[in-house]
Amino acid sequence: MSAVVPPAVRAAVRRALLREPRRLARLAGWSLAEAAPAFAGGHAVARAVDDGFAAGRPLTGLAWLAVLGGAWAVAAVGARRVLLEIAGIVEPFRDDLVEGVVAGALRAGRGGDAAAVARMNHQVELARDSFGAVVTVVRSFAFTLVSVALGIATLSPAVLPLVLPPVLAGLGLFLASLPALARRQRAFIVADERTTAAVAAMAGGLRDVTACGGETRVAQSVGREVARQARAARSLAAVTATRTLSLAVGGLLPVLLLLAGAPWLLDRGLTAGVVLGALTYVTQSLTPALGGLIQGLGVSGVRLVVTLERVLGAAGPPVRHGETAPDGVRLELQGVTFAYGPAAEPVIDGLDLVVPEGDHLAVVGPSGIGKSTLAALVAGLLRPSAGAVLVGGVPAAEVRPDARALIPQEAYVFHGTLRDNLTHLAPGAPSGAVEEAVALFGLDGLARRCGGLDADVDPAGLSTGERQLVALARTYLSPARLTVLDEATCHLDPAAEARAEAAFAARGGTLVVIAHRISSALRARRVLVMDGARVLAGTHEEMTEASPLYADLVGHWESRDLGRVS
Amino acid sequence: MSPADLLVIRAVRQAGPWLAALAATALLGAAAELLLPLALGRTLDALVAGGPGSGRWLTVSALLVVLVAACDATGVLASGVSGARSALWLRRRVVAHTLAVGTAMTRHAAPGEIVTRAGVNVEEAGRTPEAVVTAAALVVPSAGSVVALALIDPWLAATLVAGLLLIVGVLRAFVRRTTAASGGYQQAQGEIAARLVGALAGARTITAAGVEEQEARRVLAPLPRLRAHGLDLWRLQARAGVQAAVVVPLLETAVLAVGGLRLSAGGLTVGELLAAARYVVLGAGLGSAVGYAARLARARSAAARIERLLSVPPPSYGSRPLPPGPGRLDLRGVTVRAEDGATLLRDVDLVVPGGACVAVVGRSGSGKSSLAAVAGRLVDPERGTVLLDGVPLPEIGRRELRRAVGYAFERPALFGETLGDAVAFGQPVHDARRTFEAARAACADPFVRRLRLGYFTPVADAPMSGGEAQRIGLARAFAQAERLLILDDAMSSLDTATERQVARALTGSLGDRTRLVVAHRVATAARADLVVWLEDGRVRATGRHEALWEDAGYRAVFQEPPPPEEDPAQENAAREDRAREDTARENRAREDTAREHTPRHDEARDDRARRDAGAGAALTGAGEAGTP
Repeated sequence: MSAVVPPAVRAAVRRALLREPRRLARLAGWSLAEAAPAFAGGHAVARAVDDGFAAGRPLTGLAWLAVLGGAWAVAAVGARRVLLEIAGIVEPFRDDLVEGVVAGALRAGRGGDAAAVARMNHQVELARDSFGAVVTVVRSFAFTLVSVALGIATLSPAVLPLVLPPVLAGLGLFLASLPALARRQRAFIVADERTTAAVAAMAGGLRDVTACGGETRVAQSVGREVARQARAARSLAAVTATRTLSLAVGGLLPVLLLLAGAPWLLDRGLTAGVVLGALTYVTQSLTPALGGLIQGLGVSGVRLVVTLERVLGAAGPPVRHGETAPDGVRLELQGVTFAYGPAAEPVIDGLDLVVPEGDHLAVVGPSGIGKSTLAALVAGLLRPSAGAVLVGGVPAAEVRPDARALIPQEAYVFHGTLRDNLTHLAPGAPSGAVEEAVALFGLDGLARRCGGLDADVDPAGLSTGERQLVALARTYLSPARLTVLDEATCHLDPAAEARAEAAFAARGGTLVVIAHRISSALRARRVLVMDGARVLAGTHEEMTEASPLYADLVGHWESRDLGRVS
Repeated sequence: MSPADLLVIRAVRQAGPWLAALAATALLGAAAELLLPLALGRTLDALVAGGPGSGRWLTVSALLVVLVAACDATGVLASGVSGARSALWLRRRVVAHTLAVGTAMTRHAAPGEIVTRAGVNVEEAGRTPEAVVTAAALVVPSAGSVVALALIDPWLAATLVAGLLLIVGVLRAFVRRTTAASGGYQQAQGEIAARLVGALAGARTITAAGVEEQEARRVLAPLPRLRAHGLDLWRLQARAGVQAAVVVPLLETAVLAVGGLRLSAGGLTVGELLAAARYVVLGAGLGSAVGYAARLARARSAAARIERLLSVPPPSYGSRPLPPGPGRLDLRGVTVRAEDGATLLRDVDLVVPGGACVAVVGRSGSGKSSLAAVAGRLVDPERGTVLLDGVPLPEIGRRELRRAVGYAFERPALFGETLGDAVAFGQPVHDARRTFEAARAACADPFVRRLRLGYFTPVADAPMSGGEAQRIGLARAFAQAERLLILDDAMSSLDTATERQVARALTGSLGDRTRLVVAHRVATAARADLVVWLEDGRVRATGRHEALWEDAGYRAVFQEPPPPEEDPAQENAAREDRAREDTARENRAREDTAREHTPRHDEARDDRARRDAGAGAALTGAGEAGTP
């Protein structure tokens, strides 16, 4: 089995088990109590028959059965405590997984997909359930096996050779079939998920399938997954069938052997009661425990490995943050080239640019031309394929996050108070500064509507413009001296946009504005135009001369603006 | 017999010979299981008595053991295979039928429901053979063992029955209490999911600010509550589950005591005592048999839900070929209604000359998307006819129609492995030249080339903005449409410069096709040959943009704020809700219980489905189109 369990999964399981050694000790203690009938059961039955009922002393018989009943009562208490101890191991394990999923997703810095999050949640729950089941059955089998062996040894050691070998053979048979079982179970889980994904894509895009006349093609591609799933289910059924054979060997063979060996046992002076007791050991304790182990490991064990592998491997590599405080915020790009892959055409090709400290630069160009890529390079979230991006002489990716700020188009407001949202990047900012920012960005109305700075805001209750104002004010309050606005004002009206950009320009530090409207360029000291073929930088007047695209955009904007006024 | 039962029967028949194998092994195995304790008891008695019969009984016992094991293994195989066969058949039907119905299906079932039907429900219905046979196979030995006990000694049977009633009571109490406790657990879980989705929507902000850890703490705030609810669940399980697990051995002990007294009295042999103990265990299996009966009920209700999906009639297509023509579109007295009876288009008469570029404008809720949907037969009108080059749309063959008409949407769903496939998806036969040309015309080419693998980039690995997805959708339509191109708000997320470039292609290289363009922007209307101004489901006016511009009511159409669907905050709120819902749904599936969704829940999903379908977008603001 160990060959199929990846090291990361093994480490996670080990960590969960060894988190509290004392809990493990308590678990062992209660497991002993739970195994009381496995130790005493056969013995009590044997004595009840031999010394009691068969000897004409029914009260003695009843007394021995009362011992058996008492053992089961002890077992009930033990089992209950065992379950609670296991809960104490499994729940923190689940918490770890949830924390890992959340932190991993946030660190990887990818966009949110509700379905993916729900799927991950589901995987965590599956892992939790399977882990609980595996711990339960493996522990139960181990304690039962030892208890039964000891019980039989005290009853009559001669019985042991008839019981233990077939049980161990059944166990061995099962363990031998486990890798194949694991493979097929895994294949089935994967096939099942792929089918669900294919059907979901189909169901979500029916309109497009109809419009494109793609029914046959989609039917084929979904049909392939459906057929694969059915094949996986069939081959899983085949190994599961062989699994039941190992239960027969381990559970039923000892019974036959006991009966076949009975004449020999009786010859050696053993009584019918002892044979009955031995049979009780096998049928009442050993077979159920073996069945539980086979079922539990065969299903839950495999599921645990598969889901844990998913959960632990789900997060992409974390975004690494720099730790160097830059010397000023002069921005310099030296021959910067960036492409999303070796086979892809570069988005930015050999760009040289200097933005002196305190300057205000606007970036203009059609969407998809690489403006956001440029913003991410400046913020150090992407590293150039060639060349260097320097902030105050330090490579952008090594700059401390609090030295620069990037506000994307999709403004982020979380459930919490308005003050928490505003001081997110400047914890403990003085109240006066917060109120000043509120006034500066025109958030007073919003604050009143929410019931003050310390009342909770519901992000969905804010308009997109209000959300952008919150994000802008938050960054305004932050200590960052290099600010990159990546279409961060696109939902504001032109007046609010002008006010926001003016506030940042007056705040000091270096300002880079990825322009949504051409008016942003008119306010900037310098303009960078990206038109796909080349990148040009200069003042508004210079660019109107040098770039036909820029001239076109300015002209178009002016005519459109006039059109609106009319 | 209900259609759902017929469906179950047909699905079960797909198992073929495996079904017979399953039935045979189950019944044979049950019989063997029932006889085994008897044989074991006799063997023991014969051994103790030292008589000559012991060998024979031992052989019988051995044969029975082999039979039980063989039947068990074969039964597992047969039930797995027959379940897989039934599920395969059902799933194929659901997929084929959903595709045959196409867009119209979204009016009856939200995408999530279709997934559930083809997933969990099919699985449940497919398990019918297993449920039937296993229930029967459990009932035989369980009921049989009570009889066997009674035959050995009536007192033993009475002890067993009294105990069984006790077990059933305990189990029922457990089920009731778990349902209540798991609600709180799932709520906490859904909350974490919703917070995470919200935070991931702001992933760029969070990463840029380097505050991932702080955010993780905020998202995980409900975790202690999750743990508390989780421990509650364990406690419940510990109480009831353990009680149930101890009941059977206690029952066995009680029967042993009663049997022991009878043994003392000489009414029972040791072997019979052994048999009695085994029968108790078998008899306690009756509880599980009840569980299988519940599974059968579940399979039927799952089948009923699948059947509802399968009973949606697919639209029929004719076989008339399209005569050569320029793509002239005629709408004659067209009325379209939504599922809830609201009128989306009423009595629309419209002629779109072949090769013309027509802009459709109007406030949200005026019927623009319905007009687009009905023009290319994504929806059939309730009354009236739509003709393409003189042929009514329902008389045209499916392939013929789709080759002639291409659609681009505001939010296209992309199909195919790679981006190249996604662009070529609308063509009956992929033509690389056509695909690239279309991609260039839609301004998709430059950004696709900059992706890691260019046109070979898997769709799943290409994170696209709304505008980029729209460009792929436009390219797909351009490559597909031979006569009529319908753009339903398909350029709303393009920036001005790109939109102008695509507009140039629309009048240039694509100028030979009829173009029906639903738009919000003045510029689009200004460029069109003809503007159709819709209001309240009717054509308010048609004419050139310059002429219509004189009308203040017409100008007011363009001053409307963008429709609420484009609001990312709303969208994110919806996404968070979906995370909560999806989590809840996954949980429901996990619990393997098929409860009916609350009606409110279904309505919300239906709304979303309609919005997704686009065809019903006009529903959202039907009341707000006032007169100027």
